[in-house]
Amino acid sequence: MANKDTIIEIIYRALRNLNEELEDEKRIALSPETKLFGPNATLDSLSLVSVIVDVETAVSDEYGRNISLTDDTAMTQAVSPFSDVTTLADYIVRQLGQG
Amino acid sequence: MSKQLEKPTLVGQFINLRPLTADDAELTLLWRQGPRASLLNRGAQTAEDQRRWIVRRPANEYNFIIETKQHRPIGMLSLSGIDTVNCVAEPGRFLIGDEPASAGLPAAAEAMKLLYELAFDTLKLRRVWGFVASKNRRMIKWQTYLGMTQEGCLRQHLLIDDHPQDAVVFGLLDSEYRSVTLPRLKSLIAAARLPVAPST
Repeated sequence: MANKDTIIEIIYRALRNLNEELEDEKRIALSPETKLFGPNATLDSLSLVSVIVDVETAVSDEYGRNISLTDDTAMTQAVSPFSDVTTLADYIVRQLGQG
Repeated sequence: MSKQLEKPTLVGQFINLRPLTADDAELTLLWRQGPRASLLNRGAQTAEDQRRWIVRRPANEYNFIIETKQHRPIGMLSLSGIDTVNCVAEPGRFLIGDEPASAGLPAAAEAMKLLYELAFDTLKLRRVWGFVASKNRRMIKWQTYLGMTQEGCLRQHLLIDDHPQDAVVFGLLDSEYRSVTLPRLKSLIAAARLPVAPST
């Protein structure tokens, strides 16, 4: 069973990796409420892909399961999984709980 | 008149790719000298050099400004080295210069989608290729995620800030574009259309 706190830490790690490549004033805050992608969010698609790649890889390493954060399931959610850190963590927990 | 002006504007849902003109010299120079361009090839050092570089672009190159639908320039992207004998070309000079204006927008994704449609659908190319500085991890992740295959390494091919740096060579075939790249680009663009959760 996936632990939400572990998933949030995985997302933070991906954001830390991204922050290493950003200027100080553009670094992304590590918080459950941090908006990721969409209106008023902080990431552009280039940075979003960096987070997606790191999170998918880390989830696979941690749980031995491959997930896709940009497949049809993700793109047909009622609200975007990338709304903020919490919604992304909740989405991943749900994905890992299936099958 | 610049040969680039004869090129089409490629229209997307969130952004357009319009031809680069000499009037873009100062802005694109500013982007090129910004921190985000630190891992790109060394470019022009003055606005006049940049203007000269722009007007001298050959007719067989496509050099674009990425602009929002409100016509705000936010980046640049090119398709160069078009080889009509072997049907290959090199996408490159890819830079999001105005990051605040592109936050929350699938600007990079839609720009690449429009450029690849030009390459594979309009120009009927078989393959595109390019290289990325080995320390440009975000761009390496981007290219890999979008289906490009790492085909090799050009040792110390680049001189960035007076330090030699390897260049990672990437290639993408038409079939890979259709099976991997296009669906992923469409997903990234779709992600920007999804309703976001209300703030907690």
